[in-house]
Amino acid sequence: MRTLSFRQAINEALHEEMARDERVFILGEDVARMGGDFGVTRGLWAKFGDRRVKDTPLSEAAILGVANGAAFAGLRPIAEIMFADFITECYDQLVNNSAKAHYMYNGQLQCPIVVRTACGAGFRAAYHHSQVVEAFFMNVPGLTIVAPATPYDAKGLLKTAIRDDNPVIFLEHKLLYDLKGDVPAEDYCLPIGEAIIRRPGQDITIVSSMKMVHEALRAAEQLAARGIIAEVIDLRTLIPYDHETIAASVSKTGRVILAFEGPQTGNYGAEIAAFLADSCFNDLKAPIKRVCSLDVPVPFAPVMEDYVLPEAADIVSAAMALIGD
Amino acid sequence: MGLSTEALLSLYYDMVLVRRFEETVDTYAKKGLIPGFLHLSIGQEACQVGAIRALKQADYKFPDHRSHGICLLAGSPRERVMAEIFGKKTGLCGGKGGSMHIADVMVGNMGNNAIQGSIMATGLGTAVAAQIKGTEQVTAIFIGDGTVGRGEFHESLNLAATWKLPIVYILVNNHYAISTHTERAHPVKDLVEMAGGYHIPGVIIDGNDVEAVYDAVTAAVARARQGEGPTLLELKTYRWQGHFSGDPAAYRPQEEVKTWKDRCPLKRCRERLLNTHQVAEAELQALERKAEEEITAMLAFTLASPDPAPADAVQHVYVGREVAGR
Repeated sequence: MRTLSFRQAINEALHEEMARDERVFILGEDVARMGGDFGVTRGLWAKFGDRRVKDTPLSEAAILGVANGAAFAGLRPIAEIMFADFITECYDQLVNNSAKAHYMYNGQLQCPIVVRTACGAGFRAAYHHSQVVEAFFMNVPGLTIVAPATPYDAKGLLKTAIRDDNPVIFLEHKLLYDLKGDVPAEDYCLPIGEAIIRRPGQDITIVSSMKMVHEALRAAEQLAARGIIAEVIDLRTLIPYDHETIAASVSKTGRVILAFEGPQTGNYGAEIAAFLADSCFNDLKAPIKRVCSLDVPVPFAPVMEDYVLPEAADIVSAAMALIGD
Repeated sequence: MGLSTEALLSLYYDMVLVRRFEETVDTYAKKGLIPGFLHLSIGQEACQVGAIRALKQADYKFPDHRSHGICLLAGSPRERVMAEIFGKKTGLCGGKGGSMHIADVMVGNMGNNAIQGSIMATGLGTAVAAQIKGTEQVTAIFIGDGTVGRGEFHESLNLAATWKLPIVYILVNNHYAISTHTERAHPVKDLVEMAGGYHIPGVIIDGNDVEAVYDAVTAAVARARQGEGPTLLELKTYRWQGHFSGDPAAYRPQEEVKTWKDRCPLKRCRERLLNTHQVAEAELQALERKAEEEITAMLAFTLASPDPAPADAVQHVYVGREVAGR
């Protein structure tokens, strides 16, 4: 099988979907001539031209406004918000229009947009280029949030997101762009709402997404050396999420760590914790544990950033505490 | 340029209809039969009537926050506009929208929206879609003077001017954003001056003169359709009532209100019909009665309409994905 980077996998999905469907177009800051700040949209402008690959001014509200309005008019826009932190600049469009247009006008409008955005810390870029933003959108019915961890999933899920009739926020953790993985040459799509078990186990469940999946896998490796076999679940899509896979795993292991990158208070994992407390209470042998960032902004100096972020070692310690070595 | 008598009579009818419509929903809101907020456009009828007449049904319309008249005249079954405001199942949005969120996509009404400025961004998208698809559709974005303060005002005009988008911005300046006079919110007397910064035409129009509004919007629409880009129109007018039905509007001097009531757009049109067009008084009265009858029929339809089922609340959250009810 071919090996592609996460970046190449997304780029290939964009090429294929634009070739497949005339209605798909791309807009964002520096996406056309430059090919995107992270190089994800390279080659698209040369192939599809100004009409379908558009550089915009620094106008995130306008970018999302164009996406929403064009979607209402029957097109299938893909908007790139260069850094997820900038999504606050188009929060109104996403929360009040993308998410609600289908609902408040009683199904007359559809909003089939994809908002691709680079998120996540560990890049030494601090406050305004490092946040994960899924929790910003957890209380907004109407949105779908996709958060892949591998090149294979990134390609298959992006293709599904583009074909989906709902607004999809597609999160790309910037530290994954160079991650390599197997990606088949043939056309494939992956379903929204299905998690995957990255590593089977019976002693403890680790639920995570994006970069934290890889931290969880490293942690599982270290735990295995101590005779603890962890099951690692990669959610892949955050809204909707795969209740069944999580509940089945936790019912089996009785112990769970929710490993997500954002600050702890109101972290995405809080929703999973609430769900598990409700659905698996009688199967739990230990408290539900979250492994997250500290409740501080993402700081600049590398030693401080590393101190704030969660990593494999934090998951290992949490697991040891839960199992009681 | 001077409209035909027939055309002006028709515009007059529409203005009377909007006036009676607003008076009726105001009455029923005060009776407690209409939930939520109601932003009435009494005094501003010429803006809505003149503008909507200059647009085609295929054009995209984004009505502003005070836009019952636009929704009423866009081509929808009119009784369903009233039913929507009452929150009825027979409303254009099945009771999900109400006064502030009325759409009828079949006639190009893309929905009013309760976030001021939001549609300035969204309207870019229908214009971009028309450009990409190569259709002749124009996008009309209606805003109030308060929206000039929003960041989307800049983002929208900047992008529309740069990309030469087929947009007509219809800025209905009624001089107050709730209680705040434009003079206390913006540095220019004529908001249309803002257009200069984007190198697009800006035109001031007497918003109480329905013919002037119709002519100005017609010209701006023609310009947009020919691919020459956006225009910013400033329609100077005044709302007779407070910001919402029930707002006593104590923040406005009474003499100011009186001055503007003297400039009533209906009265002006009526006098023009009587004096310049030699229409008989009896004919105008017949027209006014007809408008009353149309409102009476709408009201009967609305009051006889059922409420939505409570569980309709879980429909249309997602396309093709169910959301659990209670």
